[in-house]
Amino acid sequence: MSMFEIWLGILQGLGITAQVTAYALVFAVPFALVLGVAQFLATGPTRFLVTAVIEFWRSSAVVVLLFVFYYVLPVMGITLSALTVSALVLGLNIGGYASQAVRAGLQSLPAGQREAGMALGLSRPTILLLIELPQALVAMSPTFVNNLIQLVKATSLVSLVTLTDMTFRAKEIAQTDYDPVAIYSALLLAFFVVCYPIALAGRWLEARVHPEKGTARGI
Amino acid sequence: MLAQAPHPASETLPLVRIVGLNKWFGALQVLKDIDLTVRAGSRMVVCGPSGSGKSTLIRCINGLEHFQKGTIQLEGTALGRNARNTATARRQTGMVFQGFNLFPHLTVLANCTLALRRVLMTPASEAEEIAMRHLTTVRIPEKAQAYPAQLSGGQQQRVAIARALCLNPRVMLFDEPTSALDPEMIKEVLDVMIALAGSGVTMVCVTHEMGFAREVADEIVFMDEGRIVEHASTEDFFSAAAHPRARLFLDTILSR
Repeated sequence: MSMFEIWLGILQGLGITAQVTAYALVFAVPFALVLGVAQFLATGPTRFLVTAVIEFWRSSAVVVLLFVFYYVLPVMGITLSALTVSALVLGLNIGGYASQAVRAGLQSLPAGQREAGMALGLSRPTILLLIELPQALVAMSPTFVNNLIQLVKATSLVSLVTLTDMTFRAKEIAQTDYDPVAIYSALLLAFFVVCYPIALAGRWLEARVHPEKGTARGI
Repeated sequence: MLAQAPHPASETLPLVRIVGLNKWFGALQVLKDIDLTVRAGSRMVVCGPSGSGKSTLIRCINGLEHFQKGTIQLEGTALGRNARNTATARRQTGMVFQGFNLFPHLTVLANCTLALRRVLMTPASEAEEIAMRHLTTVRIPEKAQAYPAQLSGGQQQRVAIARALCLNPRVMLFDEPTSALDPEMIKEVLDVMIALAGSGVTMVCVTHEMGFAREVADEIVFMDEGRIVEHASTEDFFSAAAHPRARLFLDTILSR
């Protein structure tokens, strides 16, 4: 097989990679928003609880979480498809990271923003939704792009739970066609081709959000 | 015969009535036994050295700061732990901050209409009309579609004044509105405030601008170390401040 044929073979897994990424976002975005905001607002035991949930998902190894949920949940009588388990685990893991960006973005706003809202008689939820979150999310959007790239790369792990993503395809080809150098180089290239445009989009976004800071130089 | 005149009690009822107000930040007592009454139409300037508690005092009036002892009444309604009363108080008071605190992600017009739309549920077209009227009052209607970052400090502070006026507050609170401004921008903001005072708006203004105080205020409150040590008419304050701390303050600030 030529390098190009190998590459095309690997790209047959792109659909699953994209599917896992998109499905994982369905878990990641609400998780990051809700828990990030909750950690920002909560005090006392509630905050401890919220932090504990975030840290569970953020501080565990994704591979281990993937195996635990894939093999342990059926024992407990919960049977989810490999796709759902993968999306859940990857999504909540990345969501844990992103929740910290949400919280940090909210905390970095000057107190005067909230006070001005309060002085105008706006309710706390209105201040959060219309004043604090819009500013925090825009300010943190470059970080969210980073999280998205991390998510795409983390999907390579779903090959371990039988999903035929790009990494799984590479391993399949490696079994029939012993040429690890070409095959895994092609896989590397495939991920780069997917992630680099996201990085470029992130750089464009960063230039718009923080025009004064300048962006990463070079390619 | 009964409905011929405004209710006499409401005419004499003070807008703001503060009795025995005490506040601590942890172990530090920042307000000590404050008694203060603001009558409708009053133009009160609160001055004093840094850390004397003057900003904290006016922040208590609209519930931005909690207090531990004493009472604050706004048109007879007590402020305090009651959230509903606090919300009402905030609608009845307009606040202008030292740091402007405009919402940077909203246009000037949206800054002004936000509370009208969300608090008073005013329809969009009417809210914009009200906002434009107040932006005209502060002489900046042409910047309605601009974002705060595109404005100078003086322009931002004038927008902040218009934003506070939009809710038609019973009393306007100013917390050192010119302290963060370059000297040439101070005048444009003070001019707007002078015009406002002339229109009969009740004002409580924390400021070091003693020229403004002399021209606009009808009463002056001087604070030191959390206490009101002098409360006099403007004329009496400038000519015959009784407390030595107030005299020292006046001598220092007027000789600059």
